[in-house]
Amino acid sequence: MTAMDGKDDLKPIIEALIFVSDVPLSEAKLKEIVGNGLDGPQIRSCVAALNDEYRKEGRSFEIIRVAQGYQMVTRKEYGDWASRLYKGRSRTRLSRAALETVAIIAYRQPIIRVGIEAIRGVGVDGVLATLLERNLIRIAGRQPGLGRPLLYATSREFLRYFGLDRIEDLPTLKEVVRPDASQ
Amino acid sequence: MSYQIKLEKFEGPLDLLLFLIKENEIDIYDIPIALITKQYLEYIELMQTLDLEMAGEFILMAAILIQIKVQTLLPSPSVAAEEIEDPRTELVKRLVEYQKFKEASSALSSFEEEQRKIFPRAFFDATVRDSEGDLEGEFTLFDMISVFHEALKNVPPPLSPHSVKKVDVTVDQRMAYIIGFMKDRDRCAFSELIAGEARKLVLIVTFLAILELMKRGQIVVRQRKLYSDFWIQRR
Repeated sequence: MTAMDGKDDLKPIIEALIFVSDVPLSEAKLKEIVGNGLDGPQIRSCVAALNDEYRKEGRSFEIIRVAQGYQMVTRKEYGDWASRLYKGRSRTRLSRAALETVAIIAYRQPIIRVGIEAIRGVGVDGVLATLLERNLIRIAGRQPGLGRPLLYATSREFLRYFGLDRIEDLPTLKEVVRPDASQ
Repeated sequence: MSYQIKLEKFEGPLDLLLFLIKENEIDIYDIPIALITKQYLEYIELMQTLDLEMAGEFILMAAILIQIKVQTLLPSPSVAAEEIEDPRTELVKRLVEYQKFKEASSALSSFEEEQRKIFPRAFFDATVRDSEGDLEGEFTLFDMISVFHEALKNVPPPLSPHSVKKVDVTVDQRMAYIIGFMKDRDRCAFSELIAGEARKLVLIVTFLAILELMKRGQIVVRQRKLYSDFWIQRR
């Protein structure tokens, strides 16, 4: 690969790599491909510069940070148009049961089925199957002890689906404040 | 009092209780158990009248509510009042816990909504089938089963008239076949292994053989996201 001195050479290379990647492209992968001591700050400044250009030129897309990587996506304003292209192919929204269940898994992972049911107060067998099928959760092993029940955790697809970079980016759980809990 | 009930779908007894608490503008930490129990039971009754499918959990919760109500009504034994735990404590704890996740799930719901507006640059050309390069992606047993399902769908329907033939195939045989198939190569695709195979039983036994080889640590299975196929790799 050619030597790269400045950001100007680096920028189109990073752009090309993000452009062709069909999954969020991680910094580690970029470093591995580009080599030459490419570091995180360099990547981030290139991505920022690219996004600046796109904005100035009024492009319909941008590079976002999601699921521990970079991905080129259309801007929200053009979502309607893009969805017309994919009419009939768009996935259904998650049901409330699925959202509640995946929320419990996300905050309490790894967790066993019984643990989820204790919080929701209802059975979650069917919901777990749906979430597994949609790749939003994964089986993260078994809990030692009686019956060795399966442990569930969220997947990388979970981050992508909800537009999160890392699991730590989930909003903090809010407790109902007790009115007289002043002391 | 006639209670106006909106027919919402409740996710469970806790969800229904939270709804009643909100409707009555009640402090969750100080639930008037008699009122809530009454309304809860009314709701259950209505669900029964309407013949709505009701999970057993709803009935269980009714029993819990009644039990709490009874406990609050009974005069306490000799112990001083402060030392007795409020019978509502356990239920309140569960409600507060559930409420947290209910709110978290509505946050996730709005994230989902936002994400539906953006479309990633994606690569749809599934005709490229290079067996080079890294295999990556989380691949679960579930994925394997769905690939297997696809393979089963491709099995042609039996020719009529229906004839029953004994198919002689064992897991051991298929394991040997897979190992033989991969003798000169590091990896092969599941679709290659079953190419041209129209006998369902053979497909099933082949799949079982793959699972057995995985268990023995002789092969690993990987998938490249794009394909409804998976790769079998020698260890």
